[in-house]
Amino acid sequence: MANWQNLKTLGFVDPLGALKKRCPEFVKRYADGEDEFGFKIDVFARWEPFFRFCFEDYFKVEVRGLENVPRDGAALFIGNHSGLLPIDAGMLAIPLLHSLKPPRRVRYLVTDWFFNVPGVREWVMDTGQVRATLENAEKLIAKGELVGIYPEGLRGVGKTFRERYRLIDFHPGFVQLAIATGTPIIPVATVGGDEIYPNFVNLKGMARELRMPFFPVLLTFPWLPFPLYFFPLPVKWLIHIHPPIKLDYPPEKAKDRKLCLRIAREIQYDIQRDLNAMLRERKSLFTGWDPEDES
Amino acid sequence: MNPSKLLPIKKFTEEYRPYIKAARQTEKNYGFDLRRVAQVEPVLAFLYEQWWRVQVSGLDRLPKNGPAVIVGNNSGLIPWPALMALFALMTREAAPRRLNIIADMDWVEDPSIKAAAAQLGFVPWSSENMKALLNAGELVAVFPEGLAAINKPFSERYRVRDFDWTRLLPAIELGVNIYTMSTVGCDEAIPNILTADKLKALLGLPALPVTPFFPWLPFPFNLGSFPVRWYMHFGRHTPYKTTTDRDALEELAKSQTRFAQGEIQAELNRLLRGRVKSYI
Repeated sequence: MANWQNLKTLGFVDPLGALKKRCPEFVKRYADGEDEFGFKIDVFARWEPFFRFCFEDYFKVEVRGLENVPRDGAALFIGNHSGLLPIDAGMLAIPLLHSLKPPRRVRYLVTDWFFNVPGVREWVMDTGQVRATLENAEKLIAKGELVGIYPEGLRGVGKTFRERYRLIDFHPGFVQLAIATGTPIIPVATVGGDEIYPNFVNLKGMARELRMPFFPVLLTFPWLPFPLYFFPLPVKWLIHIHPPIKLDYPPEKAKDRKLCLRIAREIQYDIQRDLNAMLRERKSLFTGWDPEDES
Repeated sequence: MNPSKLLPIKKFTEEYRPYIKAARQTEKNYGFDLRRVAQVEPVLAFLYEQWWRVQVSGLDRLPKNGPAVIVGNNSGLIPWPALMALFALMTREAAPRRLNIIADMDWVEDPSIKAAAAQLGFVPWSSENMKALLNAGELVAVFPEGLAAINKPFSERYRVRDFDWTRLLPAIELGVNIYTMSTVGCDEAIPNILTADKLKALLGLPALPVTPFFPWLPFPFNLGSFPVRWYMHFGRHTPYKTTTDRDALEELAKSQTRFAQGEIQAELNRLLRGRVKSYI
């Protein structure tokens, strides 16, 4: 079970100072300099302990293949989306901040829906996420940032429990982007996210009424009062970062829809294969892959 | 109860005239016998139409004549998805065809079972056999998951195990089109409730599925299954250019096999998603 020790760090009066102490290189690299998409290091520092708590103590995330992340230069993270709230994005950002030398940040391309919700909009932008458009993505790549894309989109997070770890077909837009800009693609397979919020039914009519992308019925939602329904199950996570795929095509090939679809499918199938293998090796939902190590 | 008494050969010949005409001209070196098919047909028809109510899509993608390979996910000690595909092709309206099923039969020791399987169209796996069949213009079904498909536990239902790429190598060498077949229903109709690995090792068997029916019940009942609705989908073939260079050929076989596996898994996901929606 989770170790609640690190929750203490959530109460820091000076979160930026704490982050500076822990990851001086990260702060040095990203604190200064105007960011046109509105990344604010102090908001990031305030939320970082929470996600670190989730990463280290609650979900006990195991990361494999961190050495595949390039030291600098742009790359596209392509992953399977999971878990209603996009927690999987945060769980990938934390190891890049803490375990990678030098630390890096990852900018996610976020769907429009979040930008229409007043409170969420600011939070999403302050923590470094970017509205998903082609121009924004190209700008980020030109700056040499790590860009995270979940090509399943919103439908990916709204998967029901029965459909867990079954990928929805990838939109080939990310391949077009990768070919046009000559950026390597790094597939990321995440196991754990689909089980933190077991989603039994998706009430479509309700979702339409409330203008939500989906209206899930969980163990906790919508039964419990406000903050309690966010309470996830302490599932053990495993994130596998694959080696980068360099697409050796001339930029004009980005217009070749057939080629892009084929490459998108290949990457999707790779991730699905990896998910199947990781699920097969998993011994238990809560202790994960090596129960011996946990005791 | 002899199934041949339920449906005389005469009725079979009347009902399946185009199929018999097509099957007569096919390869017989491996022991295919129409009489055996006629015998088994009532069982297959019952399972296909009444018990599992199989819904097939994309069947017309399979060519009317000439060589082709079907790759699919499999399950069960008796490869029911293969037999359902066989029946679907038998009753196809446009150009019914005979299906050859490539299977591992080395571990089957009983000669009468072996002979019966061969009469239905099962062919023991070897690349020679497969090449011979394809050169004769036959339709061949391959299940490259192998024994893993039989041993898969229920928690892994409809999660395709890694395909053995050598199973597709002969087809790719000859440049034959590879069609995918995804079957939903098979893993739930006969669920594998236990993984009896120790018992399996003790008995020296390569596969021992423990289902609610299988080792427990007396003979005809241990072949039982739940009346789950089946969905089968035949996918498009992926065009490729075959080569003569051995290394390039193996690479091509590996990538094609992986892609076919991914296509099957993606189609299974789609079928399952559609099924979930139809429940709600």
